[in-house]
Amino acid sequence: MFALTVAHRYLFSNPAQTALLVSGVALGVTAFVFITALIQGLAINLTEQLTANSAHISLEPATRVARVLPGAATETASVAIVSTFQRPQIRTWGSTVALLRTQSGVLAISPQISGSAFIVKGETVAPVAVTAIEPADLDAISAISANIVSGDANLGSDGILVGARLAENLGLSAGEPVLLRTDRGIDRLLTIRGVFRTRVQALDERVAYLSIQTARPLFRLPEGVTNIEIKLVEPAEARDVASFLQQATGLRATAWQDKNASLEEALTAQARTGRLIQAFSLISVLIGIASALSLSANRRRSEIGIMRAFGVSSAFIAAVFILQGLLIGVAGASLGCLSGFALCSWLATLIRPDGTMALPIAPGEGGYVAVFALTTLGAVLASVIPARSAARLDPLEAIQQ
Amino acid sequence: MSAVLDARAIGMTFRNGDEMTEVLRDVDLVLEPGELAALLGASGSGKSTLLSIVGLLLRPTTGSLEIAGSRVDTLSDAERALFRNQRLGFIFQFHHLLPDFTATENVAFPAAAPAGGMSAAMRSRARELLARVGLADRMDFPATRLSGGQKQRVAIARALMNKPQLILADEPTGSLDRVAAEQVLDLMREVNHEDKATFLICTHDEKVAARCTRRVMLKDGRVEQALQEN
Repeated sequence: MFALTVAHRYLFSNPAQTALLVSGVALGVTAFVFITALIQGLAINLTEQLTANSAHISLEPATRVARVLPGAATETASVAIVSTFQRPQIRTWGSTVALLRTQSGVLAISPQISGSAFIVKGETVAPVAVTAIEPADLDAISAISANIVSGDANLGSDGILVGARLAENLGLSAGEPVLLRTDRGIDRLLTIRGVFRTRVQALDERVAYLSIQTARPLFRLPEGVTNIEIKLVEPAEARDVASFLQQATGLRATAWQDKNASLEEALTAQARTGRLIQAFSLISVLIGIASALSLSANRRRSEIGIMRAFGVSSAFIAAVFILQGLLIGVAGASLGCLSGFALCSWLATLIRPDGTMALPIAPGEGGYVAVFALTTLGAVLASVIPARSAARLDPLEAIQQ
Repeated sequence: MSAVLDARAIGMTFRNGDEMTEVLRDVDLVLEPGELAALLGASGSGKSTLLSIVGLLLRPTTGSLEIAGSRVDTLSDAERALFRNQRLGFIFQFHHLLPDFTATENVAFPAAAPAGGMSAAMRSRARELLARVGLADRMDFPATRLSGGQKQRVAIARALMNKPQLILADEPTGSLDRVAAEQVLDLMREVNHEDKATFLICTHDEKVAARCTRRVMLKDGRVEQALQEN
């Protein structure tokens, strides 16, 4: 394609100027990549922090509502009332767990009995949220075993695990007996088998772990469980999977995003701000390309005029300038993607004294394909104005100048 | 053999706001194949305007124009561009070579651009033409490294690239020193003589006109004298 040859010659006729132009584009693309990687990194970091110690989906019994019962055509209506004493439970949890195990995106499953209780130590009483699990599933949702700071994670038939802050507040330590009083008014003396510190305040201060077998009589649940907690391979898919599970099981499935709506709003606002910055980066790149090519078209008026005079079509002239824009866009976007990745990769290696990343940046999430496509397309569009102006040049006027 | 150029009652009026300026009035000009015609006239006589009309760079206000038997004043812009490319050759006062290309590439450009690339045949013809204009040793030189006279000779070779039926030259020696101007004039005469190419040379230089086979004098937008055989 001869227009490409001409475009290439024009760009290389002044290598320093072209290098500056490509560098400008690359700088804008680098800024785009950096902002994208940072925003994505922040979102991933926040999501990981939030979901590391909690379930991605919670399955609970469907909410019961009072309803009129169908009956004989009499003037007396029968009404089913909802018992507030009877604890909602999932009686068929075994088959539900079996169904969940067939789902490919499910990473871990933890059937649980959750309830409220008080831990009584002498005259001190502290409320706790009891999470009763199968001992084998202790680490399914939160990494408890790895965070035991005293004692061990072996629950046994009368064991309880408590968080480090709760232990500090009540002066508890592993091996000590402690009285647990449930919201069903049942007391039982248990032994603190271990103390854990997950660094999640809600867990370390408020949660106590029991085995399901220990919890059944305490919460008067001889068969069922109150909830099934699920971890997914891809947390972002929680809403879709929850919707499917709700349909498949008839249980109420809640995704982690719906339990943390404020976080999602914050992430959305952050992404919106990021898009604004990305748009400004791209716009500045496109203005740069358009102005540089306009200057080039102006500088080459006489050459364009002579080409037009000896019959070169206006489409050919336009193609020369659009191809220049394309070449600048491709070169700048490639260079910008590479330098953006290099910058983000370097920033990701910077570590704070406490071992966390200085910047929660995700180098792999720089939006490379999008920025490459947008920059290239934008560069072509930015070159349309100078291309049109060059193609419309009156040859006579240009030659006479 | 039909005329290469048959311009009838050409008129040209320029509008500048409310002011109308009539530059050409009822100009008739016929060039037969192989003529080497000089278009003479004082500054402002309308000779450049007439050359631009004949070169299809400007549309006349009135009149009709035929080149090589084809009516061309009614063509669209795209058709005029194609006609210029295939049938006309241009030589300007300033060479207007493309500085980023070699002498060979400059010569081949009028053929290569519409074809989408420079074929071996185009390159070969361009090099033949350069050899003919005495630049066999400058074929691969960038245009920027050629002297003024050499550039104008490259421009002549470029004008011949597509084997035009009519070559239009606007003050072709105007920017050259005496020696280079002589060489360029000799070259045009040689091409005219050997190829039977028809030339219309716009000039105000009597010495140039004296070496042409015919003189066309324009005065106040009218052809005053259109006959002379050298």
